[in-house]
Amino acid sequence: MASKPIVRVENLSVLLEGGGEPRPVLADISFDVAPRSVLGIIGESGSGKTVLSNALVNWIKLPLRVTSGQVLYQGRNLLGLPEHEMAKLRGREIAYIGANPTIALDPTIPVGHQIVEKLREVEPGISREAARKRVIDTLDAVRIPSAARRFDEYPFQFSGGMMQRAMIVDALVSNPKLLIADNITQPLDVTVAAQIIRLLRDLQSDFETSIVFISSALGVVSDIADDVIVINAGRIVERQTAARITSAPEHAYTRDLIAKVPRLWAAAETPEPTLLDDMMLEVRDVERTYVVPNHTKLFGENHVRAVRGVTFDVRRGESFGLIGESGCGKSTLSRLLSSIEQPDKGTIKVEGRDIAGLKGKPLLDMRRRFQLLLQDPYNAVPAHASVGRTIEEPLRIHGLASGAALKARVRDVMAEVGLSPDLYESLPVGLSAGQRQRINIARALILEPSLMILDETLSALDQVEQARLLALFEVLQRRHGITYLYISHDLTMVRRVCARIGVMYLGRIVELADNQTIFETPAHPYTRTLLSSILTVEPKPFRPETYLLEGEPPDPIHIPTGCSFRTRCPFAFDRCATDDPELAADADGNGAACHLAPGQMPPPTILPATTGPLAAPNA
Amino acid sequence: MTDIALSARPRNRSVAQRILAGAWTSTEMKVAVFIFAALAVLTVVAPFIIDASATKITVADRFLPPIFMEGGRYPYFLGTDQLGRDLLLRSLIGLRNAFAIGIVSVVIMFVIGCAIGIYSGYRGGWVDVILMRITDVQMSIPVVILAITILGMSRPNPFTVIAVLVLASWPAYARVARSVTLAERQKEYVRAAKILGASDIRIMALHIAPSILPSIAFVAVLDIARMMIFEAIFGFIGIGIQPPTPTFGTIISTGTQYLLNAWWITIVPGFLLALALTSLNLMGGVLERSRNLVLQGQL
Repeated sequence: MASKPIVRVENLSVLLEGGGEPRPVLADISFDVAPRSVLGIIGESGSGKTVLSNALVNWIKLPLRVTSGQVLYQGRNLLGLPEHEMAKLRGREIAYIGANPTIALDPTIPVGHQIVEKLREVEPGISREAARKRVIDTLDAVRIPSAARRFDEYPFQFSGGMMQRAMIVDALVSNPKLLIADNITQPLDVTVAAQIIRLLRDLQSDFETSIVFISSALGVVSDIADDVIVINAGRIVERQTAARITSAPEHAYTRDLIAKVPRLWAAAETPEPTLLDDMMLEVRDVERTYVVPNHTKLFGENHVRAVRGVTFDVRRGESFGLIGESGCGKSTLSRLLSSIEQPDKGTIKVEGRDIAGLKGKPLLDMRRRFQLLLQDPYNAVPAHASVGRTIEEPLRIHGLASGAALKARVRDVMAEVGLSPDLYESLPVGLSAGQRQRINIARALILEPSLMILDETLSALDQVEQARLLALFEVLQRRHGITYLYISHDLTMVRRVCARIGVMYLGRIVELADNQTIFETPAHPYTRTLLSSILTVEPKPFRPETYLLEGEPPDPIHIPTGCSFRTRCPFAFDRCATDDPELAADADGNGAACHLAPGQMPPPTILPATTGPLAAPNA
Repeated sequence: MTDIALSARPRNRSVAQRILAGAWTSTEMKVAVFIFAALAVLTVVAPFIIDASATKITVADRFLPPIFMEGGRYPYFLGTDQLGRDLLLRSLIGLRNAFAIGIVSVVIMFVIGCAIGIYSGYRGGWVDVILMRITDVQMSIPVVILAITILGMSRPNPFTVIAVLVLASWPAYARVARSVTLAERQKEYVRAAKILGASDIRIMALHIAPSILPSIAFVAVLDIARMMIFEAIFGFIGIGIQPPTPTFGTIISTGTQYLLNAWWITIVPGFLLALALTSLNLMGGVLERSRNLVLQGQL
């Protein structure tokens, strides 16, 4: 390295104490971060990544203890600095962005004001107006739309992606020399994550900041970083340039890690389509509009059109996927499908019976047939009840078993989903996200449903745990003949497990086709956009330069006339502004709601080896 | 916090058992339980074994100091009042009344207040608006004015006193329970229960209540003390339970006239009151901490 490194970590070791045996979390970590470079740190969860990122800002707290080594920042050992000295550096020269932006901001203060407060703290001389202007400029730089207005809005008015951008502004506003980004893209949609990554790269060259980028997703890290460090069980196993880490990995662990990244195109695993004509779920023209007060007018009302006419079928024993960005109506649809809310229009039939309008006992009986698994494993399981009690609950509600038979059934289900029956009386508190999600699954499974709706059920888990649970789902599908409806923004997972896929945009399905068509020859530009924004280790058939969207979807109160996607579509033409395209399926059941003729979009850059039947969009 | 043992980690005991076991390991809990049990036993047993009377007036024995002071004599362990009645017995009866009134009124107001609050918060809409306006109305009437109105018009007895206390204090519980429920009903576990088919009543009673009530219950324990003080205040201003039944309020209010030469008349009931309240608060506090430790998985 030619220039002096901005950060040098030397022989850093961290020990976890308390409880039983002291356990090393980090062992003998040494690396440099060159000025104006991006260092990627990659490892599975539990490899010590987050502890390392905390060590870089001297945030190691008991029961963790630094046993040896130092973190030199411009020649000063941060680990030896007293707290007030460190507080001066943090935020001023070293900035940190965490994985969960939703809890990092104070909900009672407008976003801009919080950032101004921080700026005035690190630069006491700055005037109020100057600080405000600088924050708005930086909000502009991270492409928050109408930054001056957003400045005075509260955190709850921001979406997850905007909040993460606000955190980046918060970190960058003081022109730090070093930015530590710990797993910042994990909770975001693919399109938003791609925007954030692109943004960080631009900002890094504008602000001349060095970035330490920590993530468990190899695709993301290899995309942004100049150099990559691979950590396994607290040790550095490999250090490479980003280009070489995917093309010529040296260490067996890295090769293993790369092999484990699921492929979307080259040698992708896809499920067999089911050909049964037995319909499990039939959804016809379902609509749901929320009426919310409009605060700019007295007695004014806004109509949020969350779901605008969705039609699809799911066959028995099939895995069906619904994908789309957040805010596209997926979650509303999952609430309608699980009969927590009623659709305003349209019918939902489960096993041939319309569930809309069911009440009381018939609804209770129907509920046994379909179960919804929720996204957040931490909140979906009550903290005050023991694991066994939580799983018993559905049996008690439906009055299906009691006494010893109840306990025996709970133990059976726990064993089936891979939970130790010893956990029966323990509270969920110490359990990992994966274990909690298993409680969730067990609770749904104990009713022996025939349809399970998985609403982002696996997105909070890391890849290894995700793979385990997917395997579990497959076993359960074979054993009990369960039909799955995956609702997700995780395209990689959908590619692996779903035979048929619907792509949702602004409350509507814009493309509905089989797995191969969606991923290899999609007919709707939005599907291509989603595919182009995946950060992966393999070459993509759709280039982000051609398709990547700026900004976020229009809000569902003001839906554009004509085709709702036209405001973000790179290929929109006159007709799109007036005619709303209809989705019409061809003989294979594939179709897209788009006016473009098949040849009007650029062909995929790398043609997949196996080409499926081309979906014919109705022109 | 530190003296609650962290080592034992029983796996197959139920949650409630673990909370109790965890609380019992702390010294504070043992001391508090001992004091409380001793007072309880004393209030029951003392009238039978002490050869004195709480109500019989013996003018010759008036203003006797406690037994450990010069002039004190058996069987008046803690002295006598201005009419020669045994102070220990009077105070114990006062304590019994105060306790019964305090605990019963807090239990009733806790149940009513939280039930209304949870229902109002869970239902929302017009139900919420109407119930909350009723609580507002109730809250705007000061306790003492309410007490003077009700107890002044009817004959004060334990039931009317309890009724006044409940009426005056349930809105606070309704308010707190409602606001916590508002946050709680948005949570995923409530949605999960709905998906499973749980009825609204079931969700309120078995899912929301267990997660919000324990922290409110801890405040309710402190409220027992407040109710006992209110009961004493009613007695002090003369609208409490009427003489000859001894209450803390009446003992203290008459004792204040003799504060200089017979200070024990006011100090003894005050001391017993303090002792009882301390033990109660200690128990509440330790149980709460033990529950938190269990919920955090450290026990």
